[in-house]
Amino acid sequence: MIHFDNVTKVYRNQNRPALQHVNVSIEKGEFLFLVGPSGSGKSTFLRLILKEERPTQGRVHVAGKDLSRLSNWRVPHLRRRIGCVFQDFRLLPNKNVFENVAFALEVIGKPRRFIAKVVPEVIDLVGLEGKAHRMPHELSGGEQQRVAIARAFVNRPMILLADEPTGNIDPATSIGIMKVLDRINRTGTTVVMATHDAAIVDAFRKRVVELEGGRVVRDQSRGVYGQAY
Amino acid sequence: MRAQFVLQEIWIGLRRNLTMTVSLVITVAIAMALLGTGLLVKLQVDSSKSYWHDRIEVSVFLCNKTSTNPSCNKTDATDQQKAEIKRDLEGSPVVAQVTYESKEQAFERFKETFSSNPGLLQGTKVGDIPDSFRVRLSDPERVDEITKLLANRAGVDQVVNEKEILDRFFKILNGLQWAAIMIAAIQVIAAVLLVANTVRLSAFNRRRETGIMRLVGASNLYIQLPFILEGAIAGLIGGLFAAILLVGSKIVLIDQLQESLEFTSRLSWTSVTGVIVFSICVGVLLCAVASFLSLRRYLRI
Ligand SMILES: Nc1ncnc2c1ncn2[C@@H]1O[C@H](COP(=O)(O)OP(=O)(O)O)[C@@H](O)[C@H]1O
Ligand SMILES: [Mg+2]
Repeated sequence: MIHFDNVTKVYRNQNRPALQHVNVSIEKGEFLFLVGPSGSGKSTFLRLILKEERPTQGRVHVAGKDLSRLSNWRVPHLRRRIGCVFQDFRLLPNKNVFENVAFALEVIGKPRRFIAKVVPEVIDLVGLEGKAHRMPHELSGGEQQRVAIARAFVNRPMILLADEPTGNIDPATSIGIMKVLDRINRTGTTVVMATHDAAIVDAFRKRVVELEGGRVVRDQSRGVYGQAY
Repeated sequence: MRAQFVLQEIWIGLRRNLTMTVSLVITVAIAMALLGTGLLVKLQVDSSKSYWHDRIEVSVFLCNKTSTNPSCNKTDATDQQKAEIKRDLEGSPVVAQVTYESKEQAFERFKETFSSNPGLLQGTKVGDIPDSFRVRLSDPERVDEITKLLANRAGVDQVVNEKEILDRFFKILNGLQWAAIMIAAIQVIAAVLLVANTVRLSAFNRRRETGIMRLVGASNLYIQLPFILEGAIAGLIGGLFAAILLVGSKIVLIDQLQESLEFTSRLSWTSVTGVIVFSICVGVLLCAVASFLSLRRYLRI
């Protein structure tokens, strides 16, 4: 589903590479933790999958397509098949839960009837039943992150990328978020989650890829956060 | 769905930076009104020019007793001189038509033209306008050949070319027209910069929305359309105000100009409407293109 083929990324005006010679293959339906300290290149890894950044060297394949050969005007179509969740939720403050989720479908031109049907389904799936008309500021951090996940998943993407989704949430609530991501993974969606939350990684026992200074230092199935734990 | 969503986004954008929108509308209105006025004056000048082009005459005034030209010797031109002049004029290839106008006929015509001005009529008597040949040219640009032909000719007092008088007058109108167009051009530049700035500000205000749109795979067109239409709508509103100003300038400026200068060809409302539609289209297009270009850098994939 996702293949990094000897990928190196050096940002403009930066001498130290953010990623160096990264080779990672992620299969369809996998759940993968991307771990490592701040600045180790986790977000860069995710941005390369979205073609928000281009590799300086090497190739990234997503769903069998070489992204370097994907023309710019086709990038939106790639992104429609990839959902994204971030540490800071990125909700629209002046829209309620339903409207926030529906926004993702409106802007890709889905018909109103389709939106009216699928949005409530997804809101239920992430555990927000009955809260469709709440505004973001009326929700807890965990609930806001559930809205963000609903928005990322409402178009049924084949890949879900989560960049430290529990970074702003207390540990107890994080478990709930992880359960939602697990539920989504069970529908066959490939999930890649960047995190430095050791407890979560240890509890879930999924595949772990560890980055350090832009290099892959560990790729372990059913791994834990780090040797020290 | 799509249309409603886009319209809603445009409305939000225009309302959110209202002061910018208002200044943009005013600038576009003034720019387009000036451009339109310039075009109206140009249309008027062109149509008058072609009207006069066909009617321009060269008057060959003949000697009489009051002529100041020393070669006339204060005597009337003889019949023989008149016949020679007429023959030579008719033989010239640049002459289309020659008519003789006696001083009595000239006086009659003068009376007719200035019938509403009794003071002027009282002070004029037969003979003040001398006998003349009125020559219509096949090509008014080649008047020199007539002047040359009649230079130092016995019996000719002076050759008066109407074209020279008209040319001086059209020069003034031309200047007016260019002044309007120049100011319009400066206004257009101001309008373009304002549009670019307004739209960029609008895009900055909504970077959260557009960021999410990019992330969920909205197409570029879909992301940019609300902003481009925002500029275009501001341009349209400005254009409509310009239309009002243009109707005003047709009534106040052009019609007055026609009356006081006795233009025989009137500018029709059809051509005024044409100019208005053209100005509005230019305004809308200008704003849309300026928006698009200012966004290209800002909302890249
Ligand atoms: N847009 C950028 N421009 C320049 N340097 C960047 C940019 N984004 C990230 N970096 C650098 O790349 C390295 C990896 O960053 P990042 O991928 O964000 O790491 P992580 O998400 O693991 O904290 C860091 O040294 C960071 O400073
Ligand atoms: Mg990061």
